[in-house]
Amino acid sequence: MEISWSRAIGHLWKKGKRERTLVDILMSISVFEDLSKRELASVRRILYRREYGPGEVIFRQEEPGMGMYIIQSGRVTILSEPEGLVLSELGEGDFFGELALLDDSPRSATAIAKTGCQVFVFFQPDLLGLIERNPRFGMKIVLRLARILVARLRNADEQVFTLHRELQEIKAKTKGVSQE
Amino acid sequence: MMPFETKTRGFRDLRILLFFICVFAILLVLAGIARLVIISALLAYILDPLVTTLELRGMTRRLATFVLLLLFGIVLAAAACVLVPVLMYQVQSLQSGSVLEHTSSAISRLETLIRIKLGFLGLQEIDLPEKIQEAKRYLGGRVADFLIQDGASLAVHAIFIPFIMFFLLTDGRKMKKDFLRLIPNRYFEFVLYLLYKMDLQLGNYLRGQFADAVVFGVLTTTALWLLKIKYFLFIGAFAGLANLIPLVGPIAGVVPAVVVAVLDTGDVVRGGYVVLAFVVLKLIDDTAVQPLVVGRSVNLHPMLVAIAILVGGQMFGILGMLLAVPCAGFLKVVLSESIATFQKYRFS
Repeated sequence: MEISWSRAIGHLWKKGKRERTLVDILMSISVFEDLSKRELASVRRILYRREYGPGEVIFRQEEPGMGMYIIQSGRVTILSEPEGLVLSELGEGDFFGELALLDDSPRSATAIAKTGCQVFVFFQPDLLGLIERNPRFGMKIVLRLARILVARLRNADEQVFTLHRELQEIKAKTKGVSQE
Repeated sequence: MMPFETKTRGFRDLRILLFFICVFAILLVLAGIARLVIISALLAYILDPLVTTLELRGMTRRLATFVLLLLFGIVLAAAACVLVPVLMYQVQSLQSGSVLEHTSSAISRLETLIRIKLGFLGLQEIDLPEKIQEAKRYLGGRVADFLIQDGASLAVHAIFIPFIMFFLLTDGRKMKKDFLRLIPNRYFEFVLYLLYKMDLQLGNYLRGQFADAVVFGVLTTTALWLLKIKYFLFIGAFAGLANLIPLVGPIAGVVPAVVVAVLDTGDVVRGGYVVLAFVVLKLIDDTAVQPLVVGRSVNLHPMLVAIAILVGGQMFGILGMLLAVPCAGFLKVVLSESIATFQKYRFS
């Protein structure tokens, strides 16, 4: 009897700890930065928890993208196919596939679990449902996503500008060399 | 650290296959229970958006479900208080098999006509009034038997359907998550996407069909009541339900109404009015009601509809025939979306 009680308490403690950890992780994710604790609890209710073994494919490039993945533990490799070029390696608290929350275009890269990992999936239709039922709440998430994308766009613009400048310099140097 | 399974993919696939085999076996073996669950699931699915709306107004899901089912129960109880005495009177009248004087004269005229025109077929002694009386008594007896014998079954349904609905509405999301846990990782997004597409297509269709059946039933009942047709409640409710069945439905609704109108009044013109009323109501239904309430059609082939109705009737009786078309629509969406979605994924 004592053993089963301690097991039950242990189970509840573990469950509470796990859920608290998930809310903590959600709070640290920029997409959910503006949400209150109550709203975060609502988000937590619509997330799907998945476990992946080392080397297991989470999603493949060119497949339909249906949601964003949040890593609770473990490491995930994002790579471009068919070259297999590693684009990034993500760990606990990181998220990926967030573009699928906004558009219906296919996945731009492949995600593979590098180690055993636990992830939470935020499904696009659930976000759309959230916007439909509670626009203020849904807009907080969408606005955050838009800001993330704007930041990335600015970053991409700067990179294009830098590359363009470097290209011009190379061209100028090449021209000089050929004239000599 | 993490409890990673050592199960093979083959084992997990087998588990899913076993799950579906079990579901199918339950459907076949326990047809009665399956019928109860299917009706509850359909009603829960139709009412789910209302519960979600109440939930967003600050209620807990459990309370929202309770409030909705309570309101539903009150409306049904109020309707039963008004309709049951009328219904009982109509059943008794049908059971007695009595035929009015002017009906008898119309039947006699018809009998004479048959004797003169079709006498060469050996129809000299057909005794039409007695045959019609017999048929009416038989029909009345069958309806009464159905109401008495199935009274207990109806009571069980009245208790268990809201009970099952309550749990489906409150724990539906959890059940969906539990079901998705059974799906192997590789197929998780595919199944999630498939469920979403199915919900998108079927949600509007089923809710629309349900609303359309109610509207058409109310309109028909009102029209038959205005035309002073006997058993207007029976025929109106039947026409509303039959309207769920494409092709056969409208005809199945109009035939009993015309037969009752002609036999009861002995006036063929009254039968014509009934046909006219049905034609007008069907036009209103097709042009105004259906486009408003039925969001998206599932478009089933007429032959598929006929097969579905036959299979439904064979497995679950009249209720099976009524549920056959929505179920066939569901299977069609499942299959077409599965194939369309499967082609987008690179399973290897």
